[in-house]
Parts: sequence; structure tokens; C-alpha cells
Amino acid sequence: MCLFKPTGVQGKVEVGQQSVICTGCGCLCDDLDVAMAGGQLLEVSNVCLWGLSRFFPYKRFHPKKERRRILEPLGRLNGRLQGISYGAALEHAAEILGKARRPLIYGLTNTGSWAQEAALQLARNLKARLEPADLAFKAPYYHSVRKHGLYWAPLEVIRDEADTVLFWGANPLHSCPRHLVRYSVFARGRFTERGVEDRQVAAVDLYRTEVAKFCHLFVQVDPGQELHLLKGIREHLQGSPGPGPAVKGTRRLAGFLSKAEFGVIFFGRGAVYNQGLAVLDELGSLAAHLGEKQPFVLFPLASDFNSGGLYHLLFNELGVPEAPDFGHEGGLLTSAAPGDFDEVDAILVVGADLFWFLPEDQGRALQDRQVPVVSLSPFANRTTSCSQVVFPVALVGLEAAEVAYRMDGLPMVLKKLLPTAWPSDREILLDLMKAV
Amino acid sequence: MNIKITGGRLYDPARGVQGATQDLFIQGDRIVAHLPHPDRVIQARDQVVAPGGIDLRGQVATYGLNFLRLWNRFPSLKELGQLYAASGYTHVHEPFLTLYTAGYVHRQLAALPLVDTSASLALNLRDLDSSLKSPGQLEELGQTIKSLQEKTRSLDLRLIEPFVRYRQSYYSHRTMEAAKTLETLTRLALECGLRFNLEAGPEVLEAPLPETRAFHLAALGRALTEERQLEQALDHLEKGGTADLGFQARNASSIANEQPVKVDFGWYHPLNLNPKTKANGALGVMRLALQYQGPGLAFSVCGPVWDPTAEFPPCFSWLWDRAARPAAWERQLPGREFSLSEWAWATRTLPARLLGLADRGHLGPGARADVALFDLPPDTPSSQWAQSLSRCHTLLKAGEVVIENFDLVQPETPKATYYRRAGAEEGPLLAELCQYRSFRPENLWVADELGGAWVGLE
Ligand code: SF4
Repeated sequence: MCLFKPTGVQGKVEVGQQSVICTGCGCLCDDLDVAMAGGQLLEVSNVCLWGLSRFFPYKRFHPKKERRRILEPLGRLNGRLQGISYGAALEHAAEILGKARRPLIYGLTNTGSWAQEAALQLARNLKARLEPADLAFKAPYYHSVRKHGLYWAPLEVIRDEADTVLFWGANPLHSCPRHLVRYSVFARGRFTERGVEDRQVAAVDLYRTEVAKFCHLFVQVDPGQELHLLKGIREHLQGSPGPGPAVKGTRRLAGFLSKAEFGVIFFGRGAVYNQGLAVLDELGSLAAHLGEKQPFVLFPLASDFNSGGLYHLLFNELGVPEAPDFGHEGGLLTSAAPGDFDEVDAILVVGADLFWFLPEDQGRALQDRQVPVVSLSPFANRTTSCSQVVFPVALVGLEAAEVAYRMDGLPMVLKKLLPTAWPSDREILLDLMKAV
Repeated sequence: MNIKITGGRLYDPARGVQGATQDLFIQGDRIVAHLPHPDRVIQARDQVVAPGGIDLRGQVATYGLNFLRLWNRFPSLKELGQLYAASGYTHVHEPFLTLYTAGYVHRQLAALPLVDTSASLALNLRDLDSSLKSPGQLEELGQTIKSLQEKTRSLDLRLIEPFVRYRQSYYSHRTMEAAKTLETLTRLALECGLRFNLEAGPEVLEAPLPETRAFHLAALGRALTEERQLEQALDHLEKGGTADLGFQARNASSIANEQPVKVDFGWYHPLNLNPKTKANGALGVMRLALQYQGPGLAFSVCGPVWDPTAEFPPCFSWLWDRAARPAAWERQLPGREFSLSEWAWATRTLPARLLGLADRGHLGPGARADVALFDLPPDTPSSQWAQSLSRCHTLLKAGEVVIENFDLVQPETPKATYYRRAGAEEGPLLAELCQYRSFRPENLWVADELGGAWVGLE
């Protein structure tokens, strides 16, 4: 809970209460209450610290999370970002994107579905490549589903029924903190009424994370051991453990999984850092094997709040959850592998911080080649500081209404609660479409 | 616009019109008895004129269906809407909407262009079991179900599993077997004015169906595996009940993958989105369709719909052309062949009635002008009907020409989602149902923004 009196609100104020959905991560927790007065937020309850920074971005709740709001459109003049009018920013951005031979629209996992739809249309118009910010995380999962089949369940069912939960390369305390209390570990579901006492929880990770504190079983592996561990588990489950030394914890994990009546493996980004395709292949194969006897779900723990919405859109519109390239000479080409940016000659970043995730050498290469970047962001970040044009945007779900898909693919309506001077991502994308 | 469609052979079984050459008059979005000065005349010589088709069981927006696109380049919703329109359909009814996937289903339906849409609320009886066991609570249960129907913006109700069974062994004492459950549901239906679409697995047809007014048997295809089940289904129909066929029509080879694709909705069994089609899967349905000659049988296919222009015609062919039926079926099927009137009844008139769309499925004055015109000269042999009826020459929706000369000319035609406005009271049972949800009720119920344009039917 957070409570503070905002500046400018003095004396007795009319306080209004509202229920709100948090866009801090893919959980999209909808049980938050906010108190507001004078067009400002006073208080948010039920929110985690991670989500709190969404609501009070100026406050320093986390040492690394202090952020500066961008107050006006910015354009780079004489090497420096300076305030310009919205019209001038639009004109400049349209010129950059319109002239580009191989433009890229990047990100979109942290923006609403209406903005994602507009971005896809803009990508079509510009003959651009559109790359989801978490393609490296999701693509191996879809590859694995294609190969091993699917057993899927919404978080509702997992919370009610799952008695065996395994986190693989995932630390929900950092990526989606309330996942544990709302859905997976401590949540009291219909048939898991005693919360964690009705579940068995395990985790596999390279580091001994905080998750270990509540897990019944924690297996720490060395980098590169994941595949060996997965293979060993499979062999144990099939009753034919191979010769040679097994990764420590193999037998216990196999035993843990084999007792499940309804199991779920939540995997995080840690699962794809090293040999992601092969690890997800093995995880998919393991879930399918276990699923022959009882329900067993393999579930990507997406931390970006509308990653689900973006892949849903790509499925709907293009039939494939991959990065579409509308500028490919032979017609639409989609790719499961993140691009290497070598060909790219202009980038539009929406709902992501590209330069935060980009390996340093790639970021430097883009800057050396002077690839112009247009970014849409409510806050200053690494990408905005490298951009030619920056549009400040309204915060989705607080200053702009939108739709977003929870990490299990169920859509929710995000309300506009506060007045704002800034347009939404979607409005800017639509304006860009007209201007290009 | 005022339109006259002239010279066509009308098939309007609701009014007993069976291929008579008649003119049809359209004023605005409605069919009228006569129109002295039409703005436009559509020549329909050598064409069949029928109401717009209504797919009673168009599985196009089920939660999880998107995953099928991983294997088969399953058509996009845009393509699917166009394929429906191309085959003369103007309304698609999704069978699987649940309490918490309602928003998802409606958002998908809204993205399906050209055709109007609606959905069935699939109830999980496990959520309702204690009320089902308390005779004194039936009234409140009925109100709650109506309330759920309105809040999820669904048009009718569906039961996937007509029993209460728990996966958790320690809940086994709460089991309710199918016979007992159906008996209670019958009382519930009759006392509260409800009607259930009952997905007809073999188990359903094993249990005695107590009252035809309470149930519509949906997707019979999977259930008709034995003689006894065929007799049960016939008995239900002959007593005045209704059913839809649920053809397992797709050729197994059209499914590229053999992988399991299952979604767990918290029912006893997960929903299989890639069911294996049996080589002989349509035989039971064909026997039923040809033996029964009454008004209670609608056309439907079982499983996700991939391409109505390709999937439906082979089923129609079997129905109306003996020669098209596999030779192996010859001795097991009556020699009867469907008429075009029966086709129009099963794909248009009866589906409209079952969904409560009073102004659809017929061409009488006052009906909405959803009209499909197919090239089919009078002397065309039935062996060629399927080809002619798989794609419509002209389609009008609410009086607007959407397809003309086989081309889509109005891709942005308005569409709507229909739901039942039950006007029921919210009781404590509704709050009880919500208590285990991870959504707050206001986010569980379907907001305007998740679909539409909405049309609430009283
Ligand atoms: S878990 Fe995620 S959605 Fe929930 S409050 Fe925290 S940041 Fe927000």
C-alpha cells in the first residue's frame, strides 16, 4: 500500500475510489483500488512494489526505478534532444520512416492491443519488419508447441487445480511478483484451498534466488547443464536412467514431477538464455510426456504486460506468432529469430526500451551507422536518449484506455482514470500512419 | 436502397416456398411484400434464392483455437469471415464461451468480418453442483444462470458435460451422474424457462432424456456410434425435440499435425481442438438424417471450422446425392435424398429459430434482408449442387449487397453480436460463483469494449 498527498492538493479534498488493473506485468492484477483527488492519485492498495512504480513513477520505491517523465515531444537538433511541437515531431518521424528502405518497428509488448493493431497496420504501410521485444523468449516456446503439441489452461484453472508447480529459469518475485499469491503458489483455488500447503513447488535456476525460500525443491544448475538435467529427468520418468553421472537433483525432480495430478511448468527468460530452442524443445517434450497421464501445462511467464496481446494479434492476422517482414521482396516473410539489425535503416520503438535489451556491440553498431530511432515512451530511458525523435505518451491503463491480454491470453479492458495532456501510443501511431 | 430480385427460384421453407419462381422486394434492410419503384433490379434467372445461412455451431472463436494456426496456416479471422460470406452465410454462432473466456470469445467474434455473431455460454456444472442438489434452490439457480448469460453476453446455454465429476478423488462424494443431472436440469429448465444445448457425447444418449423441450441435442456426430444411440436420438426428434448433426466432415489428411491440442476449461475433460476424424465418422449422422424426416434437425459440423466453402459441401453432397456417398455405406443407408428445401431448412430456417433470431432464416415480409443467390439452373443434376451451392453469386446482408458476381464488394459491411437480455436478478449465488475467480466481477463480465456492436434480444 502507498499513501502520500500529492503536491497541489491542499486542505480537504474529495477522494474518489476506483478499481483498477495494474499494467506492471503480464499478471494484469485487477484487484487494485486507487484513491484519487484533484486529478491525482493518492493511494493504491493491493499493488506490489513493481506495480507501484507504474502508478507513482516519480517516487523512488526502488533504487533503480526512478524515472523521469518526458514532458514534450523531442527532436534531435545539432546533436541534442530539444523540445519541439507535436506537428514537427510527427513530420520529422514521418520523414525518417518514410525514407527508410528497411524500417523496423520494435517492441510493442508493453503497450495496449489497440496500439499494437495500429503498429501492425503501420508496418504494412511502411513495408517494415515488426519485431516483438520478447521474440527470443516466445519463439522457442511456439516452436516447442508445434513439435510436441499443446495442453493449455488459463490461470483460473491452474490456480484451482495445479498441485505441482515447477519454475524453470523464472523468478516471479522479480518478473511478476503477485503471480505467486494470485495464481501459482500461495493462491487459494477451488481445489487448492490451503494455498501452498495443497501444492508442491520446485524451481530450477542458475542462481539460488529468493524463490528457493518457499520451494519444496530447488535445483541449482551450472550454465549449460539444463539440457543434461532435462534428459536425465526424462530417462528417470521412463524408468531407464542412463549411465554416467546425472546432474544433481535429477532424480528428485523426476520424482517430484511424477507425483503430479495436475502439473504446470512456468518457464522464464532464464530458460532461453542458453540454447533456448533446445531447452524449450526438451521442456515441451517433458510436458507432453507427463501430459499423457495427467494434465500438464507448459506456460511462458511473460513479464511484459501485453506480450500476450501482441502474439494473439499476430496469430489472428498472420497465422504465425513470429516477426513479420512486410518489406521482403518475395512477399510476407515471418521469422522466429530476432533480427540482427544489420539491414535496418530506421527504427520505431513502441512499448519497449530497445537499447536496454540490445547487446552493447549491437547498440553501438546502430549508433555508428547513425540509424535514426523514433521512440514513443512515457519515460526517459536508454532508447529515448539515443533517438532522433521522442514522443511522450499517456500511461496505458491510467491516462489512456486500452485493452490488454493477461499472460494466459484473456483480454481485459484498461480504463482511463486520470486526465492527461499526452496522446496514447495508438493515437500517435495513427497520426504517423497519416503523415507517412 | 430499394431492391427487386427477379426471376429467381425461391427456397423459403418457413413459408412453404419450394423453388417457385417469385420476385423478392427489399426496402432498406427489410423484405417487403411489394415495391413499386425499386432503385435496383437484380436478375436472378437460373439462380436459387435463399435466406442467408446461419452456422449454428461455427467453432471459430474458442479460447485456444489460435494455437491451431501453428500447424495449418488456419485462416485468419478476416479470411474466415470472407469464406463464410462467400458460402452465403450471414451469421455464425460460436459454441464454446465460458465464464472467464467470454471476453476473449467476443473479441475474436468482433474481429470476424461480414457476418453477425453470437455465442453459447458453456456452463460448468461443477460450479453449480450444490444448487443442483438442493431442490429449493432451483429458482435462484435459474435466475443466476440467466444473469450469467446476460453478463457474458451469450445468446444461449450449452452443457458440455451433463454430469458433475471431480478430478480430485476427495470430492468424489459430490459426483452426480448423467441421468440424475439431466433429470434435475429438466426441472430447472421447465421451471425457469431455460433451454440447454446438450453436447451429445455417447454418454448423453445412454441416459434417458426426460423432456425434449428442455434440451437441444448438439453435434450428434460424435455420439452416434451404436444402434442404441441412434434410436435415442431418433426418439428425441420424433417426440418433437431438436438436434444438429455435427458432421465430422473433415478428411483426416487435412489435419497436418497429429499432435494433441487441448485446452483445459476446468471441465472433467479438456476440450480437444484437434479431434481425430474417424473414417466412418459421418455414417451415424447420415443414417439419422435420412431416417428422420421431420423439422427438428439442423445442419452443423463438429470441431473447428476451417473453410465453410470446402468443408460443408461434401456433407451436403452426401445428403442430397446418393452417388456421392461412399460405396461402403450403400447397404447401411436409406436411399432417400435431401431436397433443396430440406437444405434451406437445416442451414437457415431452423438455425434461426433455435437461436431465437425471429427475423432471420426466412424471406417473408418483415424479415431482415439477408439473402443468398446461388447459380443453379433448374435442371442441374444433384451431383453438381454442392459445387454451385458452395459459393454464392450474390449475397445481401441487411439489404446491402456484400458479394456480387462472386466478388466481395462491401468488405466493411456492418456486423453485430447478438446476446440474450435476460433481465434476471443477481442473487447471492452469483457472488458465490465469483469468489474463486481470479477476476473481480466487473472484469469478469464482458465490457462494451471487448466486442460488439451489441444487440440484446429480449
Ligand atoms: S504482479 Fe504485476 S500486475 Fe500485479 S501488481 Fe505486481 S506488477 Fe502489477
